[in-house]
Amino acid sequence: MSEDKFEVIIIGAGVAGSAAAYRLAKAGKQVILVDRGETPGAKNVTGGRLYTYALDALMPGEWADAPLEREVTREIMMMMTPEDSMAIDSTFSHISPSHTVLRAKFDAWLAAKAEEEGAMLIAGSTVDGLIIKDGKVAGVKMGEEELEADLVISAEGVNAIVAERAGLIKPLNVKNMAVGAKHVIKLSEGKINDRFNLESGKGAAVLCVGDCNKNISGGAFLYTNKDTISLGLVVDSYGWKNSKLPIVDVVEQLKQHPSIARYIEGGEVVEYSAHVIPEGGYNSLPQIYSDGFLLTGDAAGLVVNRGFTVRGMDYAILSGIAAAETAIAAIDANDYSKNFLKQYEDKLQPYVLKDLQTFKNSHDYIAHSYHLFNTYPGLALEMMRSMYTVDANPSKSVFNLVKQTVFSGKLPYFEILKDAWKGGRSL
Amino acid sequence: MKILSMDDRLAKNRFDSDDVNSHIIVDKIACRTCTDNRACTFCCPAERYKWDTINDKLSFDHVGCLECGNCRFVCTRLNQGVEGYSWNYPEQGKGIIYQQG
Repeated sequence: MSEDKFEVIIIGAGVAGSAAAYRLAKAGKQVILVDRGETPGAKNVTGGRLYTYALDALMPGEWADAPLEREVTREIMMMMTPEDSMAIDSTFSHISPSHTVLRAKFDAWLAAKAEEEGAMLIAGSTVDGLIIKDGKVAGVKMGEEELEADLVISAEGVNAIVAERAGLIKPLNVKNMAVGAKHVIKLSEGKINDRFNLESGKGAAVLCVGDCNKNISGGAFLYTNKDTISLGLVVDSYGWKNSKLPIVDVVEQLKQHPSIARYIEGGEVVEYSAHVIPEGGYNSLPQIYSDGFLLTGDAAGLVVNRGFTVRGMDYAILSGIAAAETAIAAIDANDYSKNFLKQYEDKLQPYVLKDLQTFKNSHDYIAHSYHLFNTYPGLALEMMRSMYTVDANPSKSVFNLVKQTVFSGKLPYFEILKDAWKGGRSL
Repeated sequence: MKILSMDDRLAKNRFDSDDVNSHIIVDKIACRTCTDNRACTFCCPAERYKWDTINDKLSFDHVGCLECGNCRFVCTRLNQGVEGYSWNYPEQGKGIIYQQG
């Protein structure tokens, strides 16, 4: 190995990149982590929550000081019409742990962990190309500067333009994308505890469909952080493109809905952010390994949206671990060929790719089930209103109410059964 | 809660803007023949794209861009990188600096 050539360069210090850097450095390998943010996390956005089994897999017993916001113990699924809402509210004493996070803090912490293990971080540098030698990836370009490496791991995120430009992956299609916009709203920790009926340290997650996403595939989310609330909207990019509605107004209106407004009243918006999400899943997965090159996290499209759970950061961490293990084996064997790096896919198969396979139709189902966002929230609300209505008119049995609601929606039973059948199999 | 204009919202954020170079290039005149219903004007979460009806051309301000990339998916020309259109991240860490994320 020449003096000016490194073993591994990782593009992007998000959760996938820093996870890979942490593992590589811990194994004593020479690793450079390049991030375009002034500090790691400065360019990153989540909804969001992290399923923390992934941190256990990455660094068992060593993440007690991670800047996690709250542990989610209360899950709320909400449907809303312009004025009303109904919710299914679940509280758990034991459930697989997940924590709300804010990426600016979390990513900076994880990158610092990698640095402690010996990874070298270059922040504030945008990688804008790859060095290709004899058809193999051999390093990265940052403007005029070039850095050579035996292996490059792309953890560059959803807009993987470095890998795209090098022709290693195809540009993603609008039909596989979703766009999210988020307000972070400052409130006191005590107010959040009171309003969401939470103990200190415990958190709530609200996912909502209906009027908030204007009948376009998608939904609103609300996550309680320690002393802020993350409130935002994620919608199908293609659906929104055809809607011709101004997304900036719809995101702002979310704050005004009576079922949301009461939670954030008196708060102050401290940040407004936006990000896109690769939701195409298994059917749009790119080639994740090439000669001298591995693709991780969002750059590899490792996201599953089932409507009630949305996962990406945990898969990103797992892919970072798998990429690091593959890289360690490659360094030890001094073999960076595509053939050798194929084991990365095998390592991802049991945990990450298997899930993507299982839910390979979930994006299609969610994106193309018109009634899910258009009809059912209204129907459900009407049904509940009828059930709770007491006036001078004769009352109806619940059975008759259901019948009346469904038929008044002009929706054939067949359509409902079809959605239920497809949804049950896809999600 | 008070309705915030886009300027008010973006004013909450920290930016280290590149005042000279735009990381996104669009041909504002060629945009007259847009085949995407000017999707950028209603799909950009930061409202950076507007249609200038007086001069009948696109107006675009890269300062305030949140670097999400939605425009490179909803705009066929940016997506395919046709002449006069290109999408990059800002150079050397410039642009949005999220404090929360």
